[in-house]
Amino acid sequence: MENKDQQGIVEVAADKIWKFFSSVKLAVVLLIILAVVSVIGTVIQQNQAPADYLKEYSQGTIELFETLGFFDLYHTWWFVLILLLFTANLTICTLERFPIAWKVMRAPLKTIDEDGYKAAPFKKELMVKGGMEKTELAALKALQGRRYSHLVSKEQGATHLASQKGAYSRMGVYITHVSIILIFTGALTGAFFGFKGFLNLPEGEASSVVYLRNEPLWDKIMDGFGISKSPVIRDPRGGGVPALPMGFYVKCDDFEVDYYQNAGRPTGMPSEFWSLLSVYDMQQQKILNKRIRVNDPLSHHGITFYQSSYGTIPNSTGRILLNVKLKNDPGPGEMVVVDPGSSVYVPSIDRTIKALGIGPFGMRDPATGKVQFYESRNEELINPAVELEVLRGRTGPPVYRTQVMKVDSADPLMPEQYVIKYVDYWGARYTGLQVTKDPGVWIVYTGFILLCVGPVIAFFGSHRKIWVRIQDRKGQTAVLVGGSSNRNRMAFEREFNSIVEDIAK
Amino acid sequence: MDSSQLFTFATIAYLVAMVLYISYLAFRIEGIGKAASFITYAGLAMQTIALGMRWVESYQMGIGRVPLSNLYESLVFFTWSTVLIYVIVEWKYKTRAFGAFVLPVAFLALAFINFAGISTEISPLVPALKSNWLFYHVLISFLGYAAFGVAFAVSMVFLLLDMEDRGPARDLGIGMAVIAVLAPVGYAMAAAGERMKLVFWMGLGVLILAWFLYLVTRGARNKPQVYLFWTFCVTLAIGLMVAMGFDIVYLNLTHSLQPGDSMKQHLFEASFLSKSLINVIIAWGLIAGLFWIVWSKGMSLKRILKQYVPAQDLLDDVTYRMIAIGWPLLTGGIITGAVWANSAWGTYWSWDPKETWSLITWFVYAIYLHSRYVRGWKGTQMAVISAVGFLAVIFTYLGVNLVLSGLHSYGGMN
Repeated sequence: MENKDQQGIVEVAADKIWKFFSSVKLAVVLLIILAVVSVIGTVIQQNQAPADYLKEYSQGTIELFETLGFFDLYHTWWFVLILLLFTANLTICTLERFPIAWKVMRAPLKTIDEDGYKAAPFKKELMVKGGMEKTELAALKALQGRRYSHLVSKEQGATHLASQKGAYSRMGVYITHVSIILIFTGALTGAFFGFKGFLNLPEGEASSVVYLRNEPLWDKIMDGFGISKSPVIRDPRGGGVPALPMGFYVKCDDFEVDYYQNAGRPTGMPSEFWSLLSVYDMQQQKILNKRIRVNDPLSHHGITFYQSSYGTIPNSTGRILLNVKLKNDPGPGEMVVVDPGSSVYVPSIDRTIKALGIGPFGMRDPATGKVQFYESRNEELINPAVELEVLRGRTGPPVYRTQVMKVDSADPLMPEQYVIKYVDYWGARYTGLQVTKDPGVWIVYTGFILLCVGPVIAFFGSHRKIWVRIQDRKGQTAVLVGGSSNRNRMAFEREFNSIVEDIAK
Repeated sequence: MDSSQLFTFATIAYLVAMVLYISYLAFRIEGIGKAASFITYAGLAMQTIALGMRWVESYQMGIGRVPLSNLYESLVFFTWSTVLIYVIVEWKYKTRAFGAFVLPVAFLALAFINFAGISTEISPLVPALKSNWLFYHVLISFLGYAAFGVAFAVSMVFLLLDMEDRGPARDLGIGMAVIAVLAPVGYAMAAAGERMKLVFWMGLGVLILAWFLYLVTRGARNKPQVYLFWTFCVTLAIGLMVAMGFDIVYLNLTHSLQPGDSMKQHLFEASFLSKSLINVIIAWGLIAGLFWIVWSKGMSLKRILKQYVPAQDLLDDVTYRMIAIGWPLLTGGIITGAVWANSAWGTYWSWDPKETWSLITWFVYAIYLHSRYVRGWKGTQMAVISAVGFLAVIFTYLGVNLVLSGLHSYGGMN
């Protein structure tokens, strides 16, 4: 055997490091540190604009916090280091203990001797009437009824029973630990090979790049070492926000918001918003389209587009879409497009429709039929209302004026043999998309599933063993029962006692 | 009959059951205990029906969503799950001794809603909340919180029974002196600006943490300190509830809650953060009085409890069982939240304060489980960790909603 002194410094160091990381004390200390440090990031608001911090803290404090990384605490190198230490600790603890647990779990059933019974945490000696055979049957029935697997051996006038159940429960804790390691691995995979970005697409526009919040770490590192060039474009004209080419185009065909209604009139509270997105390849061939909503994204080539926000493009005008239909016509009617302030001739009714103007939030008073316009924050198109003037022929005299809107509490004035309906105000809004690529998410989800299963097995299962020795003692039958459980001793005690009772009957 | 009437009946049932459970503790008449159990079952049944009805009502209103998404509904659901878990414990362990502790919590929570009128309206959901995950996420999280709540109550009983006497009055004096010094310092520093306020909270956090660590590592040998901790926890639990009740009543009487405002912007304005100095002093006076009453009456309570709780081991076991149920549920709650966030925003974890605090809670109970399994700790230390865990739960549930995100919006003391 090798002498300790002859071990190289590397072996000694490795041994020490292994010992250090295999301690549960370290795990508890790291858990405490993680808990305490995490609090800081909840007290100091994270990732705010510099101006917001200036409102709350002095310049000196801001500099100090910036040095410590308190404004983006969970992504600082030292926080990630604590997480890595914790993962190393968890991995080594698991590697250290798993083989033993595996052995215990797989160990074949064995009967025990006198000393074994003495050492058993639960034991009971009793005399029963009815002979050895009958007692053995009673014991087997009691154990089988409680789903114990068993083994019988007979020697020197004694019958030995060994039984156990729930050996698998010894794996629960390892399943739990492995699941946490998987979640960390998945998170790292996402950070290295995935990205988080955003894209604000006006209605009708397309983009082949996405603007990044988090660049893939792998590309960054490879670029840093000069091994491969990062595909990220940094165009100073775009404000220097890193942009990543996706390899395809995504286009916003349409965007719409629905608002909750109160007594038939829209409130300012959105109930749902959605975008119609199309994907085109680089040769401008359409590949697919999908209507995405919050909680229902679109995925293509591993990149997922989430409906996240929306807004009205400042100082822009869209186009008004109207539907004109004869009152006795069962068909879908005719679509008419008109820009605010201009007019369009509709041959089917021989009228010219002029859009005098559009307001973002108009509502009709059902009693008077008058339309009133309300303030809406950032010109949000809560209920666009269009003021129309209808002229005879191409240039003829005005016939009447009316107002149409998205959600109307009454029928608008339509004195002639056709009805004009509001359809859309298109091109003045953009859809805010959250764009992510996360190849690690399936590793994380696997971890999640195991993390749901592991603790349940660990807490609600227990490895229970019961041994029974039946001997003939001067015409009477002496029974010795021993038992042990690695968990839930109180529940086991109840089961043990009821098994003893069943044997004694 | 609509759901709110049934909720009121359930509240009354819990009130009656609470009185009966307490009298059962005092007079030890079996019949009273049985009546208490029966009325609790009845209250639970009514509340269950009421929850179902509310669900149906929301569909009739055309909104159609699970009754689990505002403060009102989550408080109702919290009491429902607490009582449900209590009923299971009572049935499984064949003891009614905990009823006198659990039912008051259920009753107080429901009473605040019913009499003080947290908005009971079924309000529509913002788009991001329209997900099937909402139901699973809230359901699982609340069942977990409820299990931790029971664990906390049982730990409190355990700690009390663990005490031989209440220790020298000097300890109480020191405890109160520390608070008497810290409170004005806190007010002064909060008034001095955001930065000083932060320094104060951080400092206080470090002090409290050091105390917890001391109790966990040395507590078994310093019983008077543990008794002080017990007094602190009980006072805090009662004080928080009463102060919040005052807030709700006050805000409704003065109608100072503007539409769009939430409770979190007005927490403790009726007491500790009142604009009137007299109110603040009265609030602290009441807290000091409560602290003293709890401290001096604890031993009498212990004598009564002693007659009903067969073995302290059992309490330790119940605490562990509840945490063994609560921890997987909390895990499930965090996971369903993460999956939901990923389906809505493409990111399963974003370190927002609520997420982070649920993770901190998860860490604390993970420490509990490892101390027990690997280091073989039992008894006092475990009860202390369980109490600390529940303080983290309260903070996750209320503090983050009501304090943290509003930490930057209080205009100091002026």
